[in-house]
Amino acid sequence: MNRKSSNKVMSAAEAVERFVHDGATVGMGGQSIGRCAMALTHEIVRQGIGDLTLVGCNLSMSMDLLVGAGLARRTECGTGNLERFGTAFRWRRAIEAGTLEVEDYSHLAMASRFLAGALGLPFMPSKSLLGTDILHKQMEGGSDSFRVIDNPWNPDEPVVLLPACRPDVSIVHAQKADELGNVVIEGFTTQEPEMVRASSSVIVSCEELISSEEIRRYPDRTTVPYIFVDAVVVQPWGSYPTSTYGCYEHDAEHLRRYQVCARSGGEAYESYLREMIHERPDFDSHLDGAIGEPRRRELEESMRRLM
Amino acid sequence: MTTDDYTLEELMVVEASRHVSDWDTVMVGTGLPMVASLFALKNHAPNMCYVVETGGIAPQIVGTPSSVTDARVMHRAVRHGSLLDALGGVLQRGLADVAFLGGAQIDRFANVNSTVIGDYDSPKVRFPGSGGANDLASHAKKILIITRHEKRRFPERCDFITSPGYVDGPDGRRKAGLPSAYPEIVVITDLVVMAVDRATGCLRIERLMPGVTVEQVRNSTGFDLPAAAAAGTVEPPTEAEVRLLREEVDPGGEYLKAPE
Repeated sequence: MNRKSSNKVMSAAEAVERFVHDGATVGMGGQSIGRCAMALTHEIVRQGIGDLTLVGCNLSMSMDLLVGAGLARRTECGTGNLERFGTAFRWRRAIEAGTLEVEDYSHLAMASRFLAGALGLPFMPSKSLLGTDILHKQMEGGSDSFRVIDNPWNPDEPVVLLPACRPDVSIVHAQKADELGNVVIEGFTTQEPEMVRASSSVIVSCEELISSEEIRRYPDRTTVPYIFVDAVVVQPWGSYPTSTYGCYEHDAEHLRRYQVCARSGGEAYESYLREMIHERPDFDSHLDGAIGEPRRRELEESMRRLM
Repeated sequence: MTTDDYTLEELMVVEASRHVSDWDTVMVGTGLPMVASLFALKNHAPNMCYVVETGGIAPQIVGTPSSVTDARVMHRAVRHGSLLDALGGVLQRGLADVAFLGGAQIDRFANVNSTVIGDYDSPKVRFPGSGGANDLASHAKKILIITRHEKRRFPERCDFITSPGYVDGPDGRRKAGLPSAYPEIVVITDLVVMAVDRATGCLRIERLMPGVTVEQVRNSTGFDLPAAAAAGTVEPPTEAEVRLLREEVDPGGEYLKAPE
């Protein structure tokens, strides 16, 4: 499809079917308990698209779901956790069981890899990772992802080179987009501005579809212009139970419930996947089951008070 | 006036805040480091610039954030940005005076492990990983670590070095090519305040928590731990400091448990 075509609005099911394929490297939007692309993640789980390599800086609940559903082969990231809500337990158990390949970076190292991809460069130099096992043990273990060279202008100074990271597809949840795929992310933007520009395909879900006229009136607010975007999915509450800045807070109750299931694994986890995803035709149906109107108003009000 | 009415955790926070000066640019996440930084800001460093890895610059934090993506940690910031802005444009750029980090293991050279226990390729326990910690430890001019003091947390050598301390000796960082070659590194525990001695690149006892002996600290540490010639005692907090901490910094007791 041409990225300059006029209308990219489609359902999550159509977007995921068209742009996420078995074996893909998937750039994961959001961070920790904020703005994870949960609706798009649910759709990948529902369609059972597997053998995925998941990349990002902090990978959180969306990554953990794909690992827990048996759809991930490998992760490349700086962290796997939900901060105060704990580690990403399906990820942790899969690494301990030896069923998931991992490559460790720092957050800046991953952001630098996306920057290289976004600038059309093969690699980015970094002064992080020096003197550590992130560099040395992974190099000794056969990883070809790190090189240390001397600064050409200062021969005694080591510099790390990190290869560009170019996802096949990135999945991102934003506050606003127009039907062309101009995207407005408010608040923190994680690694998404660089990751999206580095990706071959990009799916954006949004809380609100705005007019192209509004985009053109405030062009300095556009985080990602339409030439980088392939599909726009209108999905209010699309990052639930993680937050969307300015719209609603994270749902601590649901996050804790997920973490209990993820920590115990087995039938508890399978039933979470079944009840929340597989038995639901779409994300709206998941939301109807997971969160009632009064709780939605609470989380919106709670965010409003913090603005 | 110092007081006896404080918990060890409160003293750790107050002691950590003493290493933050007015006008410092401080990179912090959440948890006890956040409490210590907010305390510094309200107590003696009103011009401190708080920077969050998610890109928030100088926020006026409200309540008790549970994540670096929490709107509480972004409240009234002068700018919201990206990981690249904060970790690249502020930290790697060399503008962070102080950074806080934590970890599962800290060794004699103050290297930190937050990745695995056991072998990297078949770990016994997997932790979340570096996050921004490696970046903070690589680039900040001063590194503060707050942790509980247990023998297993202080091994001779980390199973995996996630974030660099002095690597393997007094010039370890410079040889590795780290831009911040000789930073101050201070480790604050419930027993002791340790700092890297630049002559050896190793941690040594600087000050003991009130009532704690050198023997007690050594028995809870997995490596030989020398003591500075003038090792003294950590100054208890004042009544006003404790009041500030309980009433303004963490009024809900989210991070600091009230005394029993």
